[in-house]
Amino acid sequence: MTFSLTLSASDLLLLLPELFLTLWLCVVLAVDFSFKRIVQEQLAYLTILGVIITLACLAWFDMTGITGTLFGKMFVVDRMAIFFKVMILLATILVILLSIDYVHRFSLFRGEYYFLVAMSALGMMFMASANDLLSLFVTLEFATFGFYVLVSYLRDDMASNEAGLKFFILGVFAAGLLAYGISLVYGETGKLVFSDMSGANPTTGLVIGFLLIFAALGFKIGAVPFHSWIPDTYHGAPTPVTAFLSIAPKVAAFAILLRLFLVALATFKPAWALLIVAASILSMTYGNIVAIAQRNIKRLLAYSGIAQVGNVLIGLAAGTKMGTDSILFYLLTYLFANLGAFAVIMAISNSVGSDEIDDYRGLNRRSPFLAFAMLIFLLSLAGVPPLAGFIGKLYIFVAAIKEGLYILITVGLVNIVVSMYYYLIVVKKMYINEPLDSSPIKTTGPLRAVIYVGLAGTLVIGIYPQPFLDWAVAATLMFSNLIGPAASLTPPVTPFGG
Amino acid sequence: MAEYTLLIILFAPFLGALGLIFVSNRQVSLVRGIAAGSAFVSLAASVYLFYAYDSVKGGYQFIQRIEWSRQLGISLHLGVDGIGTPLVLASGILLFAGIFVSWHIKDRMKEFYIWILILAAATIGVFMSLDLFFLYFFYEMSVIPMYLLLGMWGSHTKKYLEMTDPEGLKQRDSVGFIFNFGANSKEYAAMKLVLFLSAFAVAALMGILLIYKFSGLNTFDILILREKAHFSGPLATLIWLLIFFGFASIAPIWPLHSWSPVGHAAAPAATSMLHAGVLMKLGHFSIIRVAFEILPETTRELMPSAAVLCIFSIIYGGLVAYYAKDTKYVIGYSSSSHMGYVFLGMAALDYISLSGAVIYMFAHAMATGMLFAMAGWVYDQTHTRDIPSLGGLSNRMPFISAAFVIGCMASIGMPGTVNFIAEVMIIVGSWNKYPFQVVVAVLGIVLTMAYLFKMMRGLFYGSMAEKYSHSHDAVAVVDRMPLLIMITVSISFGIFPGHLYSVVRSGVDPLIARITKVVPVAELPMNSPQASSHTMPVPVPGEAIAKVTSR
Repeated sequence: MTFSLTLSASDLLLLLPELFLTLWLCVVLAVDFSFKRIVQEQLAYLTILGVIITLACLAWFDMTGITGTLFGKMFVVDRMAIFFKVMILLATILVILLSIDYVHRFSLFRGEYYFLVAMSALGMMFMASANDLLSLFVTLEFATFGFYVLVSYLRDDMASNEAGLKFFILGVFAAGLLAYGISLVYGETGKLVFSDMSGANPTTGLVIGFLLIFAALGFKIGAVPFHSWIPDTYHGAPTPVTAFLSIAPKVAAFAILLRLFLVALATFKPAWALLIVAASILSMTYGNIVAIAQRNIKRLLAYSGIAQVGNVLIGLAAGTKMGTDSILFYLLTYLFANLGAFAVIMAISNSVGSDEIDDYRGLNRRSPFLAFAMLIFLLSLAGVPPLAGFIGKLYIFVAAIKEGLYILITVGLVNIVVSMYYYLIVVKKMYINEPLDSSPIKTTGPLRAVIYVGLAGTLVIGIYPQPFLDWAVAATLMFSNLIGPAASLTPPVTPFGG
Repeated sequence: MAEYTLLIILFAPFLGALGLIFVSNRQVSLVRGIAAGSAFVSLAASVYLFYAYDSVKGGYQFIQRIEWSRQLGISLHLGVDGIGTPLVLASGILLFAGIFVSWHIKDRMKEFYIWILILAAATIGVFMSLDLFFLYFFYEMSVIPMYLLLGMWGSHTKKYLEMTDPEGLKQRDSVGFIFNFGANSKEYAAMKLVLFLSAFAVAALMGILLIYKFSGLNTFDILILREKAHFSGPLATLIWLLIFFGFASIAPIWPLHSWSPVGHAAAPAATSMLHAGVLMKLGHFSIIRVAFEILPETTRELMPSAAVLCIFSIIYGGLVAYYAKDTKYVIGYSSSSHMGYVFLGMAALDYISLSGAVIYMFAHAMATGMLFAMAGWVYDQTHTRDIPSLGGLSNRMPFISAAFVIGCMASIGMPGTVNFIAEVMIIVGSWNKYPFQVVVAVLGIVLTMAYLFKMMRGLFYGSMAEKYSHSHDAVAVVDRMPLLIMITVSISFGIFPGHLYSVVRSGVDPLIARITKVVPVAELPMNSPQASSHTMPVPVPGEAIAKVTSR
């Protein structure tokens, strides 16, 4: 394999968003070091400005259709990568807004916090573009690196330290599995780039190699049985970091999973579909059942997140173009609902000082706005119309039923009902129970902004999803060749490709 | 303007709810004004719809079609036929009446009106959806407001209050398992309702997804599926069962009814009205709209087995209502008993009996709406629903007791109320097919008399306890108006059923013709595309009757 290290102007253009963000990060760090008196809020808005410019750059790519590959196909910029990068950056902006009030709780290194958040975002942007095994490993570790620090940022809090340690040890273990898997796959096929592997023979070494890689990615997305770090880490980590962790790494890891399974392993679909089906059923069932017993809202969302990942895996098990669309769309709906829910959690935790569900009693009387927002976000996560989560779930089910995954859909539908129970328990606390302390709850501007964005996303996508569906469909045109048997019956009137 | 009627009916309550969000809870009259105004707009448009519906032309009218998702083949396809039209009208009336019944709510009035408007709009949405996706969308959307309405403004049952110690926290509030709420609490009722309905709704959703997949048409549009999709064999049976039991749970048919009386008992008056009046009809309506339209052959084969279940509904509901001591339990079980009549009318698959079933849904909405409104009034005045401890209230509440008698008469099906016409049609229409069930149904009417008279006597006659001597009658216009509206509607359609009958008939005829493959007997609209496109040449009327009945 050869690739030239000389970058032409057009190559640089493809890298522009990442290059810009890298430079901007240096600026953020430099500003933090040079101006002793800088208020950390200004630093936050400075970081957000950089992320917004990067987003604008990506939007320009998406509209003008700038795509291509770099470094001997290691790095790919296609519309799917852009879709994932937009989601990651959107999450980053919202998380930085969430952090502005929270950062006061950190005793040291407040400025570096934003740097680390944006650096993780940069790593995940590279993940969304990773197109071979080497860049997979490097970008994955790059992205996780920032999180190791962020999770244990509350230095004096034992829970945060424990969370960080747990996350680090299991993360390093997963990295080991990943490296071993990559070496096996490379040894069997002699190939690194995903698209070159499609003709490989399914030898034992190759199968084990891919299983190991799946295990490492399963660790990232938190699918059962690789989920054990999730509850404690989510619980102990600073809440904005939990919010970030609950969405961005999952989004980025799904980009890699899609490329890995639908490009590199497209020919082995019958074999890996079973694996995904099993992981999906386990994740949904385990996540939802264990969530019932939770008394801490962060742990509840951790388990609900495991279940949501199980839902997304249904789309992967379908393994079609439509399945891919549904994954992209679902992740988008999940992003708004989940970050919105975390914003409400932070607003409450700021004034109540606790994340216990019992402290949500009578929230409707204390702050009707927060209670209403939480209601909308939880119901969207549960999949109740007319909210975005319902359309996302339905899209995934439609994609799956076209492939005849009846058992998986049945399990998914039953799980909707199970999940409704624990979401409604929170709703019961907020709306039905009377408050123990009826002082009103104040929300600060940045948190309010995140909640408004979350509400807007959840309601708009739920009521008028067409533009977002179109965007997701256009982003996955590269998978148009993956037409399942049922899809060929499609009359020309309603094309899948959009 | 006229072609937007459905959109006005559907979106007026939604917009009202949206507007209420921006109003402060302290501006009481503004809150009431917005709620009543939007309900009135919806009601006025649905009255217009009812009288503008052309029953000679038949078929789906006032059609609106807005592309919603190309990838999934979904469009917001609205339209009403002769079956949907009266139900839309009933929802409009009950919503408007419900707004006034809850006029004096003190706690979080704004939110109450928001959720009740959303609930009513969602049910109205089901009655006019011609797209399976939106049918499910609105159906599921109507469940969550019920949770909040029951939980926030509902009341515990008597047993619960006795059971709970003064602290009460241990029993009432545990995140743990579902039954920790205490089986008589409103939380339990609300949670049971939502989980029950959602569990069966996802079964229906599975049926809808199977229809979507195996039709191979990539569309959720009922009108397209009805023409082009054909299902047969075990698959059709499976889909039919999923659809039937999925939707029959809200109806509620006998073994799936247990959520309903508990929900009624916990709910505030206006919610009970909408719940019993229209929400329960979503079940029958959705079965008619989905199973009857898309799977006519399977309906013909399997619907007779539903006739077996309806016996249990009628008798079981009636007996429990007779022995129940809580006013709302009595009315709630009487509702689930009466829904058995609708199932009987549907199961006979006959022009007369199905028309009777549809009219019965309309009639029952009015009668039960009245009864629940008045039970709510009595509860507000006396703070109890326990029949043995009440009595003699007619001295204090002459208007309410008089209206209650009328409500009971309507519920029993006295001649002069629209319920009578519906009952007679159901009984006459299904006599040929199910004589045994008809006998049971007639006995059920006797049972209805027994428990309603018993409740009436227990509440209003006999001796009154001293502590209720300060209770008030409904005197103000806003308190009397909702009852008067429902009484007027019930009696005027009972005396002049002509238009209602011809509207319903125009919806029932093509449907039964499709299912039984026979052209309707009377007043076949020659120019109706629905009736003529898929039926045989017109036979002599007598022959048609013979075919219908001897099939």
